[in-house]
Amino acid sequence: MGKITATINGTEAHVDEGTTILEAARTVGIEIPTLCHSPDLIPTGNCRVCVVEVEGTRTLVGSCHTPIANGMVIHTRSPRVLTARKATVELLMAGHTGECVTDEHTSECDLRKLADELEGGAPRFLMRKPRWYPIEAFNPYVRRDMSQCVLCRKCISACREIAKKNVYGIAYRGFAAKVIVDFDDPLTTEICRDCGICIDYCPTGALSKPTKKSEVK
Amino acid sequence: MPEKRILLKNCGRIDPKNIDTYLAQDGFKAWQKTQKEMTPDAVVAEIKASELRGRGGAGFPCGLKWELAAREESDEKFLICNADEGEVGAFKDRYLLQNDPFTLIEGIAIAAYAIGAGKCCIYLRAEYHYLLDGLKNAIAQAREKGLLDGLDIDIHEGAGAYICGEESALMDSIEGKRGEARYRPPFPPSKGLWGKPTIINNVETLSTIPHIVLNGAQWFHEIGTEKSTGTKLFSVSGDVAKPGVYELVLGSSLKELVVDICGADNIKMVQIGGATGGIVPYSMISTPLAYETVLGSGAVTVFNESRQVIDFVYRTMDFLAAESCGKCTPCREGTEAMIEILGRLATGDGRQEDIQALEDLSGTMMLSSLCGLGQAASIPVLDTLKYFRNEYETRIQQSLFLRSLRGRI
Ligand SMILES: Cc1cc2nc3c(=O)[nH]c(=O)nc-3n(C[C@H](O)[C@H](O)[C@H](O)COP(=O)(O)O)c2cc1C
Ligand code: SF4
Repeated sequence: MGKITATINGTEAHVDEGTTILEAARTVGIEIPTLCHSPDLIPTGNCRVCVVEVEGTRTLVGSCHTPIANGMVIHTRSPRVLTARKATVELLMAGHTGECVTDEHTSECDLRKLADELEGGAPRFLMRKPRWYPIEAFNPYVRRDMSQCVLCRKCISACREIAKKNVYGIAYRGFAAKVIVDFDDPLTTEICRDCGICIDYCPTGALSKPTKKSEVK
Repeated sequence: MPEKRILLKNCGRIDPKNIDTYLAQDGFKAWQKTQKEMTPDAVVAEIKASELRGRGGAGFPCGLKWELAAREESDEKFLICNADEGEVGAFKDRYLLQNDPFTLIEGIAIAAYAIGAGKCCIYLRAEYHYLLDGLKNAIAQAREKGLLDGLDIDIHEGAGAYICGEESALMDSIEGKRGEARYRPPFPPSKGLWGKPTIINNVETLSTIPHIVLNGAQWFHEIGTEKSTGTKLFSVSGDVAKPGVYELVLGSSLKELVVDICGADNIKMVQIGGATGGIVPYSMISTPLAYETVLGSGAVTVFNESRQVIDFVYRTMDFLAAESCGKCTPCREGTEAMIEILGRLATGDGRQEDIQALEDLSGTMMLSSLCGLGQAASIPVLDTLKYFRNEYETRIQQSLFLRSLRGRI
């Protein structure tokens, strides 16, 4: 396998061919924030939080899915990158509901953590209506509160690639896009076994383990 | 520069249901020339020399794209003809499909030969279902004449999504998946349909090929401007006396098209390239139509003085938000946030900070979106902010006044 040399934030990185920009940055100690990325899953590149600037390209590129190439000059914290990244996270927060929105001290939500790191400031964007779906708790293994979902699609990939099941899919377009089961049916015990892998990958509180009645004080 | 009929040469002169009328007009001569006299590499070189650029909107050099696919080693390669024509106000591909399907088929045959593809697919938009029989008939007739030996041409019908005109979403759609843009690289010429090298070209691009092969790259290169060679079809609609499909030499002025030919008057602005196209105000009506300036897919929509800019931008954004595939954040959430703002402006409920928010959103969508839809969605907003900023400001002032009245009553 060939070796690649590229410059990231002024530091030279030497990595194997096929390494993504995100992985290459890590080898020289540069962290790029991500949301929909997980090292165990095939990248989907949908959240656009990990964008970076590659000199000579018109738009920013997603670092989790773009293989690094010889001679690339990459900036992970240029003004263009920071402005776009911040607005993207702000947009996600604007469409997001959940405990973390009202209670700043809840640290369970990865999106909230990202927003805090990027120091949002006063909200600039609003949605016409918040995302709202009824909570689904028909299944003893997974409780779904899709109002909190930020459409990172990690549950879809985890279910398909790790659990080898394919329970989830996407339906509807634009802002109405939603992670669904079958024809937007409830997640019943017939469809889902109890692996609960998707819950581990959910960055927000959209998927959680239902609290058993006996545990409720 | 005048109108020039190259692509429209046969339209109205041949019978689209009868291949003999096409053969009588030198039909399939280019295909025979290719087979007899040219190697695939020579065809690619010829197209490259002609500097033909994609007519589907992006304007990527056609020969260069072919070369990338031709160089790939693979047991299978695909050629896709993009007949999705979802762009608002675009109807030039339909005109070709309806009146001259044979030139397209000839172009497909030559392109497939050049890149080494054994299977071709025409992706026909759902709304063009009524053209399906005509196309099938044309392919069958060409096959009967022994002109398509060893070449599969399938027709795949879309299901009515604008995003499926985008090349990667189109391939997902053919593969039976939900049509959503893929990230690039890998680019289709190396990894496209079913992971194989794939070339996707617009109907008009492919229909131009036989003319170039027959008359030579030199001939083609002499038409048009330095960076925009050849002629281009324009579908003109909106506030004009004579809407329709027109063919002009590239570099002709917008004024010639919409005023002299189509008889528009009292023009306020013209949108070129469909929903995500750029806006040209009347003061710039002599802008040349070329890749260097504005072009896109060649959809030209004329707005006269009676049209309100804000209402137009709002409706355009409403369309784009509804057609966004919903995969990536900046477009999915950004179009929604834009509608929130534009909707308020349209109904007289604007705020002082709205213009700034629109500009911030536009910048991010343009830089971070995954595909061309989100990247270009803010162009109408930015262009109208540039040329008609006063309309936004007036609307905001009116909104403030209305609110102050409401507070008083
Ligand atoms: C949202 C979107 C919609 C598109 N729709 C079409 C279309 O309807 N027809 C088309 O030919 N190209 C369309 N394109 C452009 C294609 O992605 C692609 O660039 C084109 O088919 C390439 O062909 P060409 O090089 O011959 O122009 C669209 C692109 C985007 C981003
Ligand atoms: S830019 Fe819009 S249409 Fe394109 S992938 Fe992103 S959400 Fe889908």
